[in-house]
Amino acid sequence: MAERGGERGGFGRGFGRGGRGGRGDRGGRRGGRRGPRQEEEKWVPVTKLGRLVKEGRFTKIEEIYLHSLPVKEHQIVETLVPGLKDEVMKITPVQKQTRAGQRTRFKAFVVVGDNNGHVGLGVKCAKEVATAIRGAIILAKLSVVPVRRGYWGNKIGQPHTVPCKVTGKCGSVTVRMVPAPRGSGIVAARVPKKVLQFAGIEDVFTSSRGSTKTLGNFVKATFDCLMKTYGFLTPDFWRDTKFVKSPFQEYTDLLAKPTKALMLDAPVENIEA
Amino acid sequence: MGEEVHLGLPGPWAEDYREKADHYTTKIGGVPDWPTEDIGIKPHLLQCSLCGTKLCLVAQVYAPVAKLNIESRTIYVLVCPTSKCGPNPQSWKVLRVQKCHSIVQTNGKVDEVDQRKGNVCSSETSSSFPDKSHEGSDDEIDLDALASALEQAATLASNSKKRNKSKHSNAPIKCPVGKVKADDPSLPVLPCFYIYYGKEKLGGKGIVGPNSSESVSGKEIADVANDEEEKWEGESYEYDRALGADRTFLKFKKRLDAYPQQCFRYSYGGKPLLAATNLQESRVCKLCGAPRQYELQLMSPLSYFLHEASDGSSDYAPDNWTWLTLVIYTCSKNCCPSTCVGKLGNCFWGVAEEEIIVQED
Repeated sequence: MAERGGERGGFGRGFGRGGRGGRGDRGGRRGGRRGPRQEEEKWVPVTKLGRLVKEGRFTKIEEIYLHSLPVKEHQIVETLVPGLKDEVMKITPVQKQTRAGQRTRFKAFVVVGDNNGHVGLGVKCAKEVATAIRGAIILAKLSVVPVRRGYWGNKIGQPHTVPCKVTGKCGSVTVRMVPAPRGSGIVAARVPKKVLQFAGIEDVFTSSRGSTKTLGNFVKATFDCLMKTYGFLTPDFWRDTKFVKSPFQEYTDLLAKPTKALMLDAPVENIEA
Repeated sequence: MGEEVHLGLPGPWAEDYREKADHYTTKIGGVPDWPTEDIGIKPHLLQCSLCGTKLCLVAQVYAPVAKLNIESRTIYVLVCPTSKCGPNPQSWKVLRVQKCHSIVQTNGKVDEVDQRKGNVCSSETSSSFPDKSHEGSDDEIDLDALASALEQAATLASNSKKRNKSKHSNAPIKCPVGKVKADDPSLPVLPCFYIYYGKEKLGGKGIVGPNSSESVSGKEIADVANDEEEKWEGESYEYDRALGADRTFLKFKKRLDAYPQQCFRYSYGGKPLLAATNLQESRVCKLCGAPRQYELQLMSPLSYFLHEASDGSSDYAPDNWTWLTLVIYTCSKNCCPSTCVGKLGNCFWGVAEEEIIVQED
């Protein structure tokens, strides 16, 4: 099948990246290569939200976040966030002891982001590296969240740092992010730095606690911290919310309205020259 | 479970949504093709149980059962076309129409046509069993019946080009049917397209490159793990997790992505592919009290295709559908309702209502 052939080509590249991903990571290789291949396969939406997105009723993903609608199809995110890039952070073998020896599976950590306020993290275990990478990219896209950025001091220019001190936790690792002045850069360990770069945060001070050797938990704690930036109530949000109709509601109401039959007025007598 | 699953994949659109086919056709939308005109379905079976509107056809699936030797059996899935009843699961109805066992002679004629026509498509079981069951007894009349059937088929093929769909949908034609339109134009009708069958191949794990590169990458990973000063320690197997979707839905989506256009899945007596874990238990058959078993399930690409074909009018039912899958359970004994016994010659068709369970988004 054509699509299988296309995938093989994609996974040829994926292999190289998967295998050398560990060493090559420091080069900060971005994975935008999968784009053209995915556009060849036509997406048949499964959920109602997917159908609405495919029709083009949404322009930005923020409209989905506003109503807290669960995103169940990764193609929704691909359509609404065009500049999404993915990168494999790590592939570790995970072993299980069986009677016939050890069974090794591979666990892939993938972070996706558009360097401008949207970031997602995906973790997938599978028997083959390529399957794990592909699955992790899909899970990462499903978990794309918005990241709130703010200012350290004067509100000049674009927001560049986190709006306030936030902290995230996973396992025993807690990560605390503190707003930093412009030009500080991301002051963090190598692994969470990547996640913060994908989120589009330019300056931040971080501090971590717990067993950060467990880098899986470390990166998840950073992601959890980023998720909380929009959960923090600041005086900007004190104004009463103007509630907007959810897209499903809006759509159903539109359909429930009886369409008026076209009423043609009886032609008025015109005085023709 | 090892049962093979047949997928209903979309075929060509019907030229006219109200055109008639026969009860051996598998199609989505359109007008229901009852086996005979006076099939005697009680009117309450064709009306919505909530508002009383006449139901329209969503899917008609020709589903013979090889093991019990029932060849003429079709399943009709009906829904209420009004948008108010849409979200309510009681607006759906499933009817199973089958021929009772009493008549054998007419079956012979049908089988000749079955043997000839039903061999092109890949998987449908109906093509194989008529050969086994009736070959021995009907050897003498084979040639004559075959000749007449061939003649009929020749006239059919020249009659209307849309009969080509029968090759795909594995629907043997009994008698030439021209473009007969449904007699009741006030019936709401969904856009109609025909179905051809495919078999589900679970080969998803083999999509990777050749083995040599895999072993290389395995070794590289092992090297990498030892080289770096940061060791990702303490990792163990983790189940899939996403913010908006749970594990069951992710597995459901994975099976759907293998064949993204599947409109329904058919597996007589098999296990359904669930989209959520909260499935209600199916009730027992109302007629005979036997437990019901899973037979087929309709999938969401079907509502996508119907939605795409809408002509933009308001109050179009598929626009309001939010279900992910509709699971249909039928009587495990394939009972015939008692009303069809007694009338001779006329009524050998039994109509029974089956159960449908909706899994919502």
